[in-house]
Amino acid sequence: MDGRDLTARRLRREELLKLAAAAGGAVLVGGPTAAAHAARTQLEAESGRLQVLDWAGYGNDGGQSMFAQYVKKHPGNKPQFTYMTNESDALAKIHAGLSPDLFRPYVGWVKYFATSGLVQPWSPKLIPNFKHLNPFMVKAGQYNGKQYGIPDDWGFDAILYRSDKVHPKAKSWGLLFDERYKGKIAWFDDLEMITIAGLYLRFKNPWNQSDSELKKSQDLLKSKKHLVRLTWSSETNLWEAFGSGEVWIAYAWPNDWVQMKKKKLKVVYMHPKEKPIAWVGMFMLLKGSPRPRLAHAYVDAWSSAKSAKWLEDNYGYGHANTVARPSSSDLLRALQLTNPKAVTEPNAHLDRDIPRRATYARLWEEVKAS
Amino acid sequence: MYSLFPGKHGFTLEAWRAFVHSSVYLSLFWKSVKMSLIVSAVVVALAYPVAYYLALSGTKRKYVLLLVLIAPFLTSYLLRVLAWKVILGDQGVLNTFLFWTGLRSHDHPISQLLYSRFAVMLVLAYVWVPFVALPIFVALESLDRRLLEAASDLGASRRQAFVRVTLPLSMPGVVAGFLFVFIPTLGEFITPSLVGGTSGYMYGNQIVDLFGTGFPDWETGSVLAIFLLGVVAALTLVFARFSQIRDVAAS
Repeated sequence: MDGRDLTARRLRREELLKLAAAAGGAVLVGGPTAAAHAARTQLEAESGRLQVLDWAGYGNDGGQSMFAQYVKKHPGNKPQFTYMTNESDALAKIHAGLSPDLFRPYVGWVKYFATSGLVQPWSPKLIPNFKHLNPFMVKAGQYNGKQYGIPDDWGFDAILYRSDKVHPKAKSWGLLFDERYKGKIAWFDDLEMITIAGLYLRFKNPWNQSDSELKKSQDLLKSKKHLVRLTWSSETNLWEAFGSGEVWIAYAWPNDWVQMKKKKLKVVYMHPKEKPIAWVGMFMLLKGSPRPRLAHAYVDAWSSAKSAKWLEDNYGYGHANTVARPSSSDLLRALQLTNPKAVTEPNAHLDRDIPRRATYARLWEEVKAS
Repeated sequence: MYSLFPGKHGFTLEAWRAFVHSSVYLSLFWKSVKMSLIVSAVVVALAYPVAYYLALSGTKRKYVLLLVLIAPFLTSYLLRVLAWKVILGDQGVLNTFLFWTGLRSHDHPISQLLYSRFAVMLVLAYVWVPFVALPIFVALESLDRRLLEAASDLGASRRQAFVRVTLPLSMPGVVAGFLFVFIPTLGEFITPSLVGGTSGYMYGNQIVDLFGTGFPDWETGSVLAIFLLGVVAALTLVFARFSQIRDVAAS
């Protein structure tokens, strides 16, 4: 869908007449530029507050700098946030009746949502900062040639550990299953643990395991569950447990490493030899959103170089905006921010669609219940 | 599989079949039942002496003390649960005290206190004690004191009077209190998710996860929820019947 489609769909006949009158008047008074401005103003008069379904830390709970540009341009329409703990949670909320204008699943869910009928493609022309976004990540947000996902934040799923307490035998996902550290390990509460088990077991395609492979992955997780102190679903859970010494080894994101370093803990963010899983956040526009223009403006704010630098400096995540550079050279190296393909082979496995997602989820739920 | 309404979203018993044949869900349910039974029994054992003292000691300040007992209800449930994290953590109040006394070294705190089954049961017991004390207090308050005098006149010791008179007559309150704890804790999910870790995971958490954080599986989630509802309803009927019989016997 491009900008014209959005216009045609959203405007009723009388609105079009008003728009034509406004544009015509503006042409007479100020020429074509003023006409375009008037049209844009009219189009942007979308009612109601922009509804955003996003992850904790990305809304009014600390992520304000990321959408400051949007708030500055639309002071009368500040975004309203609902938070999601993962994509499944977002899906459940939407199925239960929540109607956000936009939300942020990660790259492995692009195909799922694009084919679900729940979302519509973006109009990149309405996002001026789109041209600065990493072309590889932009392509990862496409399905059937349409831009369903606008890439923004990115990072890795890897292992965080206390270097003063833990001495890994190898740089491997196996550290999450190390018997020596019983009661000091945290896993992530997500079906991705099945994929990680598949990576550790060296399966050919951990995202599309056969029945026998799935059984082996599940058996591994069940047999090692007794080592695990907690499975975290929100980062604050993890920070609390890791920061207070209850946990020494955890599945973690770059921001967790940043936060634990701020607490002066001796921590290592280890990239396992089986490779970390890389993720790219993809803003998605809900089908039937009554505020598509505002949603585009919001995503544009997130995509600016200023926002990108702030994200990198403060959260330790990468950003799809290739112009931005963090202040810390350590972070620049750790995330390989100058490498446009840092999120893929040979550096990492880019997260991808799981064809049997429901099966993976059921097996993971059984691991937790076992 | 049997389907009453054929089609993509038709009614089917497939989820029930999977539930009955899954040892995982039934084992988890049984684990939750055991945890709830232990919590309920401990809470009744803790609440009974408190209620007994308030009702039968003859203190003039019993209603003030009762108010003190239920005062924690004036604060947030979440706050009360989260406060235990400060007490039970590796660097919490209890472990810090043990470090100070030299009973444990800093490198070896008692880790089982938090993110464990024990933590869940301890916090649930703390949260529910006042709930149980109230019905027992009411049952003891309505006790006809002349029965105790009669028992004494007939030569019963205080212990015998308690076992043969007070306890049987307060059983409706005890049963009500037991149910007050057992039913909600069986489906509990907030406390386990905050202090339970992986080992304190309960049946209620599984229902929540199936509806929410897991890839939404509302069919299985509904089956688990209906099963829980059925068990709780059946237990309530049984207890109610039992309670009535005792009432009749007592009268």
